[in-house]
Amino acid sequence: MDMSQGNRILVDARGIACPGPITEVVKAYRNARNGDLIEVWATDPGFEPDIRAWIQRTGNQLLELRKESDKIVAVIKVTAKK
Amino acid sequence: MSTVKKKVIIIGGGTGGAMLANRLPRDEFEVTIIDKQPYNYFWPWLLYIAFRGSRRPIKREIRSVLKPWVNFIQSGVRVVNLQDRYVELENRKRLEYDYVVIATGATVDYSRVPGLDKVTEMFGNYHSNEENAWRVWQTLNGMREGTLAIILAPGAYRCPPSPLEGTFLAEEFFRRRGLRDKVRIVFATFYPRPYPAEPMNELIEPLLKERGIEYITFYTLDHVDPERRVAYSMEGEELKFDAAIVVPPHVGVDIKYVPEDVLDSDRFVQADKFTNRAKGFDDAFVIGDASALPVAKTGVTAHLQAGVVARILQGEDARNTGRTNCPFDVGYGLGTFVISDYNNSTIKYPINRINHLFKVAFAATYWDMILYPELWDPIFEAYFEATEPAKLRYLYR
Repeated sequence: MDMSQGNRILVDARGIACPGPITEVVKAYRNARNGDLIEVWATDPGFEPDIRAWIQRTGNQLLELRKESDKIVAVIKVTAKK
Repeated sequence: MSTVKKKVIIIGGGTGGAMLANRLPRDEFEVTIIDKQPYNYFWPWLLYIAFRGSRRPIKREIRSVLKPWVNFIQSGVRVVNLQDRYVELENRKRLEYDYVVIATGATVDYSRVPGLDKVTEMFGNYHSNEENAWRVWQTLNGMREGTLAIILAPGAYRCPPSPLEGTFLAEEFFRRRGLRDKVRIVFATFYPRPYPAEPMNELIEPLLKERGIEYITFYTLDHVDPERRVAYSMEGEELKFDAAIVVPPHVGVDIKYVPEDVLDSDRFVQADKFTNRAKGFDDAFVIGDASALPVAKTGVTAHLQAGVVARILQGEDARNTGRTNCPFDVGYGLGTFVISDYNNSTIKYPINRINHLFKVAFAATYWDMILYPELWDPIFEAYFEATEPAKLRYLYR
């Protein structure tokens, strides 16, 4: 499979308290394939350290992590699935 | 005032469904509960079958926990049509309603983790039924050495503390039998830390270390090989075991909905977090484990949501606070509660004997509390008021 042809999956975890956003990421990750992008929107401040730790532990790629006025946005590239 | 009673159909005779039915005044409502089987279960007790071999009965007939004026129909439900406002039974009979309340709970789906059905057959679990819980008890009793893995599969599950409760009780079991130095216990979770909410984890993680329980975080279970006795994460990380107890992914029950998009991808029903109204409908509600809300799947949630929906149906402007109060048994007669609400994150609530005894006392009152809300509601209200997270957060840091 061409890695650049992955799907883009949006996970809206705004308003969900920690560690809910990670639960939502894992739900999307379970159904994703290598090459897919997962874009997560969250409002809980605990999401930022948790997603960094998740990336480090699982070996997937964090393409973007930015704070907007009303949400935190993370874009993850799924690369580590066996 | 009209003398025509409003027809309320409640699908499911579990904690939420039965508590709601008993709270609706008979003069104003004609209430019917539908359940595909005849029993109301006290599911939290599966933990004590599995890890203590408890023979205390965990079910009673639904009929026996309902007020005499509540109708009960034992039947499966094929269709819930929210657009045309009817519920279709197994025999294709259609029941119309003024209000419908979905209280169908959750079920487990082994197919999401290849190998899990076989592993459950071998070692049991404590999130499905009595038979599987007894199998866990046999697994513990048959184990003299090796690795016991307790794995939380990714997905929704009932009772947030339960994966760790089982882990702590297994540790106590082997220590009391003098086998603790021969049996290694490993807890694996997809969360960033052993207990997902940080303040509670500050109590739990040190306790795991103190008791010599190993743990692996961010472990997203992909599949299990029952023959080789290895669990694999989605990144290919291997976890070898001699026995494995897996908390299986939970999903909503198999009922067809119109419109279909009221369900999420796990077949849970989407709802408003304050009123429990099903997404897009004024006359349909969902309470307890059946909802797609990101709240704990636990009896206290169903209990409090049933109270809110009962008040809304009687014309009050009631709203959920999102309060949780999950008992957390950490073994050796000690426990705590996971207390939080929509506005307050989990409290670092102390571990002690009295908190555990509250859990035991609650178990003793469970069916009485369902049948007599007029007696028990004031007691619970006083308890919930005294333990409001907004107050507790200043006491326990």
